[in-house]
Amino acid sequence: MTRNVFAILIFGVLVLHGCIGDDIIEDRVDPVVRVSNAIDTLKNGTSYQFEATFFDQVGMEVMIDLSWSSSDENIISVSETGLANALQIGNALITVDGLAPSGEQVSAELLVAVGEETIGSISERTGTLQTTSSYELKGDFILKEEGGVLKLSFANNYQASTALPGLYIYLTNNPSTSSGAFEIGAVTEFEGAHSYDLPSSIDLMDYEYVLYFCKPFNAKVGDGQFN
Amino acid sequence: MRRISLIIVLAFFFTNFANAGGGWTQPKGGIYLKLSEWWIISNQHYTDAGLIDPNTTSGIFNTSFYGEYGITDRWTAVAYVPFFSRSYMNNVLSGTTGEVLILGEAINSFGDTDLSIKYALNKKGLIRTAATLTLGLPLGNNSGGSQGNLQTGDGEFNQLLQLDASSSFRIKNTSIYGTATVGFNNRTKGFSDEFRYGIEVGAGLFKNKFWLIGRIMGVESFQNGTLSSDSNSTSIFANNSEFTSYSVEGTIYLTKQFGVSASYASAFRGQIIFANPSYSVGVFLDLTK
Repeated sequence: MTRNVFAILIFGVLVLHGCIGDDIIEDRVDPVVRVSNAIDTLKNGTSYQFEATFFDQVGMEVMIDLSWSSSDENIISVSETGLANALQIGNALITVDGLAPSGEQVSAELLVAVGEETIGSISERTGTLQTTSSYELKGDFILKEEGGVLKLSFANNYQASTALPGLYIYLTNNPSTSSGAFEIGAVTEFEGAHSYDLPSSIDLMDYEYVLYFCKPFNAKVGDGQFN
Repeated sequence: MRRISLIIVLAFFFTNFANAGGGWTQPKGGIYLKLSEWWIISNQHYTDAGLIDPNTTSGIFNTSFYGEYGITDRWTAVAYVPFFSRSYMNNVLSGTTGEVLILGEAINSFGDTDLSIKYALNKKGLIRTAATLTLGLPLGNNSGGSQGNLQTGDGEFNQLLQLDASSSFRIKNTSIYGTATVGFNNRTKGFSDEFRYGIEVGAGLFKNKFWLIGRIMGVESFQNGTLSSDSNSTSIFANNSEFTSYSVEGTIYLTKQFGVSASYASAFRGQIIFANPSYSVGVFLDLTK
């Protein structure tokens, strides 16, 4: 009987010794096409090359065929590849659309005026952090270029829990996972105003969310979407 | 993140409290040996607010040796040696594409070891008391895996001074004992010191061949270490963990000296600890009988 008990225990130990399993997360986001260099106004008689990026149902950048069109070709003409020509004073709705690999139709629009000078439409993006866990996370943030450097800055109302060693901050297009996200780094400031300088490879319109993740637990703490 | 000191704490408590005898010590030459398996698989944890949040499923399995030896009638040496400890974290898969987003990992190593010396403060009277000094040796891996977040130890050397008071009596044919414990755990490497407490009640049934034991245990942090956020380690043994837990253990003597045991434990409340139950099974040899 003693031998049987030992055999059962040893067998149980071997069986119980922790096989790596799978955790499945719901990480679907709506596919989206985003104009990366939107403008408010195009100088009359000039040209401008619009660019757009498609992000799939998990927030990954994917190359798909995109086509451009103008609501009024007499004011702004635009080629299939996004090269726009300002022809006369007025307004036109510029549309870019495409077919996602998932079969969904995606599109983006921007209203562009023809005027006396070319004016960019977006020079900064703002948002507000929200906790999606039981850990504290709040504060307003702004992403803008300062002195040639793209900065992500947090306002004085920023607060994050200090109970989370291994808290990391990311930029991402999928707020459900840190996989595929741009890791800004470990969080070192847990309250008050502060900022992060981003590398030149990051553009203003590249990402849709700021994400806070507990890296060792692979657990989401909170996020903030850019307005 | 320094993760869950509960893991090591529970392992220690389960193994040691089950057999450490409370206020009693081993007789001279008395030997108690136990081989056991303890494990926890957890997909959620208590936050600093005492609420429960999810986390990637993680598991720890400790195969350990536990032994007591009566040096004299008053002095008992105790060793808890997790000679094989495994820590793992699951793969994380996309529910949309099925792709692996984060690859799971596992480490296997020797675990943190406890060596104790216990002294009977009194050998007579209704209430027996004993003091135990435990040295927690950081023999485990406190930063394993590609992210350094898999652990079989916390990486710090701690010293736990514990006082036990026990009493026993009989009700008809049933032996009953109770033990109350308090302890102070001095920790190093920036870990906060801890106050520990517990009560244990056991009943011997069927001529003491079957013991049913219930425990309530707790750890309170003095919050005098470094903040968790200041920790450089992303391991799984958290600093400033607190909890109050309960456990039930059954022990069966199959022969006069040999037997098996099994236990289950969970927490009433906690902070920065796993929020799933833990289990253990073991075989023991009680050579004092």
